Amino acid sequence: MPEQLIPTSVVLGAWVATGLTLFIYSFLYKDNPLFKLGEHLYVGVSIGYSVVLVWYTVFFRLLWEPLKKGIAEHPAALGTYEPVIPALLGLLILTQFFPRVSWLSRIAFAFIVGFGSGVAIPRTVSSYILKQIEDTVNPLITMGANGLSMGFDLASPQSGINTIILLIGVVSVLFYFFFSVEHSGPGMVAARTGIYFLMIAFGAAFGYTVMSRMSLLIGRFRDLITFAGAEYGYATPVLLLVTVLSLAGWELAARRKGGEE
Amino acid sequence: MKGLLKDLARRMIAIDRRIIFLLIACATLLPLLNPFGLPIKVSPEVQAVYEYIEAMPERSVFLLSFDFDPSSKPELEPQAVALLRHAFRKNLRVIVMTHWITGTGLADGVVTQVAAETGKTRGKDYVFLGWAPGGYALIISMGQDLYKAFPSDYSKTPTLGMPVLEGVRNLRDVNYMVSLAAGGAGIEMWYVFGKDKYRFEMAGGATGVIAPGLYPFLRSGQINGLIGGLQGAAEYETLIGRKGMAVAGMDAQSATHFVIIVLVVLCNVFYFALRGDKGKRV
Amino acid sequence: MIFLKRQLPLAITFVMGVAFALQYYIPHPVSEAAITKVSDWMKIISGFALVLGIASVFHVHAVKIRRQAPGWGYSGVLFAAIVTTMAVGFWSGGESKADGSQTAFGWLYDYTMVPLQGTMFSILAFFIASAAYRAFRARSPEASVLLVSAVVVMMGRVPLGQTLLPGMQISIGQFLFKIPGAWDITQWLMNVLNSAVRRAILIGVSMGSVALSLKIILGKERSYLGGGKDQ
Repeated sequence: MPEQLIPTSVVLGAWVATGLTLFIYSFLYKDNPLFKLGEHLYVGVSIGYSVVLVWYTVFFRLLWEPLKKGIAEHPAALGTYEPVIPALLGLLILTQFFPRVSWLSRIAFAFIVGFGSGVAIPRTVSSYILKQIEDTVNPLITMGANGLSMGFDLASPQSGINTIILLIGVVSVLFYFFFSVEHSGPGMVAARTGIYFLMIAFGAAFGYTVMSRMSLLIGRFRDLITFAGAEYGYATPVLLLVTVLSLAGWELAARRKGGEE
Repeated sequence: MKGLLKDLARRMIAIDRRIIFLLIACATLLPLLNPFGLPIKVSPEVQAVYEYIEAMPERSVFLLSFDFDPSSKPELEPQAVALLRHAFRKNLRVIVMTHWITGTGLADGVVTQVAAETGKTRGKDYVFLGWAPGGYALIISMGQDLYKAFPSDYSKTPTLGMPVLEGVRNLRDVNYMVSLAAGGAGIEMWYVFGKDKYRFEMAGGATGVIAPGLYPFLRSGQINGLIGGLQGAAEYETLIGRKGMAVAGMDAQSATHFVIIVLVVLCNVFYFALRGDKGKRV
Repeated sequence: MIFLKRQLPLAITFVMGVAFALQYYIPHPVSEAAITKVSDWMKIISGFALVLGIASVFHVHAVKIRRQAPGWGYSGVLFAAIVTTMAVGFWSGGESKADGSQTAFGWLYDYTMVPLQGTMFSILAFFIASAAYRAFRARSPEASVLLVSAVVVMMGRVPLGQTLLPGMQISIGQFLFKIPGAWDITQWLMNVLNSAVRRAILIGVSMGSVALSLKIILGKERSYLGGGKDQ
């Protein structure tokens, strides 16, 4: 079976991607012009991409097309011009750039913040507070076929023993953060318990963060390995050599300049 | 002898960090080039997501939200690919969207690639709605009227009348939803502004950074399952019987974790070796 | 004028806040129509807010170029990247694909943005290892607990740890004892101990955010109005 040739645009893309990746990784040696170039390119491309998407999604899809369709079909209907209201509010936000009329943006922000605060209150209370408290005060003793029983299986998160541990943890951590009451006597025991629970959770968070960051590295290395192949013109080894030589040249030049000074 | 050991400890603690960088690079690269293939153990929280999708009847509506961008691609793309492969295998109607503007191209690429390999048709078996701004407001908008939230899909085809969206008026008509999230605009937002009112079942796929914070929601049943990081993706690939990028990366993951544990242990050994030096800064 | 600059925005915040807090409890069609309409508007307004953020970045770098501040050349690179990406994007009609093949915009996304963004965050892996080596010391009982917890989770969440420490079952007489492995301990740690702490933090932070939202609606918190003596 003949080998499928990779399109030129893909090979070119592989070289660009590999080069940019190695430019960013050059920061591991030292902050240098290659890294700064990659960094600024990243910000620039992200902004450019966002602008294009906002233009086509917001201005075209959500504003222009509904207006155009509405005016064509029902020019006299008031509802046709409804998208003008959020457009006007959006334009008010942009008055921030003109100091004399920047106060107009407050009207738009008041609208946004008022709506956001209003919708958040009942939903936050329901989802984050009530539901969480509900699960914290689960019954310890349950009625089964053999009568009343309490679970002591640590491996089962819903067992009685784990419910007790969970309750102690939640209350002690909440107490630790309650600074209006002095942490002395029984309060100190509760606060110290809370601290140890916190340390366990932070340790777990660190472990998961390590896992996450290493996964990102694995992903990038996998791409570099793929682009090291002959079908991509050995992009990785060639560009690695170019990057190393560039860094060496830059370092030598910097040391020579430092020596002269 | 004691002096020699203290001297060694002092030098090791002050070692150039670029040597540590090199160790990490080797620990990542070598297992990728020469995998050793250790077995993957499946956790109950990943199993729950798999079992829910497995039990869904054909043509049920599955909503997948790519709430991440290329910075979390290595962790969440394998989860997305595994979930899409499973959903297409079950002949579900798949709706894909994203809250993250810079993740739009990535989401489109993934869903197109998996649909092509499983022979699924855009508009009939799946739809990529694309990105729209608003975050929580978008979820509320989708919960009230999906066609007002997304009048057209990413390829500018009108959503009203699409075969894949037949009978789907809003989020209440979604049978299962998974949010693959890398930050705040993700799983919690979907629950608070989506499931809480519109009552669809949902699960989460998260990066390792935010996964620990989602366990309270898992415990309380607010999400029925949680796929955490690359390990979670590897577990899901094991369940669907199709090993991919995640399983391939787990050996490197093991090696890097091992290196970090050794570094932490060594650091403490040197620290305790030098702790006896009164007045000397360690 | 003071009314327009101060009272009106506060009144709008109050009305919107109270109306949409109460809306959650009113399933009437008018109430549902109101939230549908306003959430549609919010999508459009958010788009303009994004423009604000983008324009701010423009402004910062434009000033740097104008003043020829140190590193202004890189700001030029940034501008060039923005303009090039926008030009390619508009030329491609904002599409990553056309007729099944990749557009220039799609190419730019796949081969510049994805590797750059991915690499920027993956570099943290090296720094977390270096930081762990230098700073992760058992200086106190609390730090020791943190360290042990981190090591247990790092072992338990990868196949190597699960294989090296699989746990075992020992039977003594009629009793069967299960000695948990790294995976079992990690699962328990995450589902019970970690959940307890995260839940407490979630409840505390949520109560704080509800209090803040109430303060905003009632006009006690005005920082969102942007400052100035007429606030």
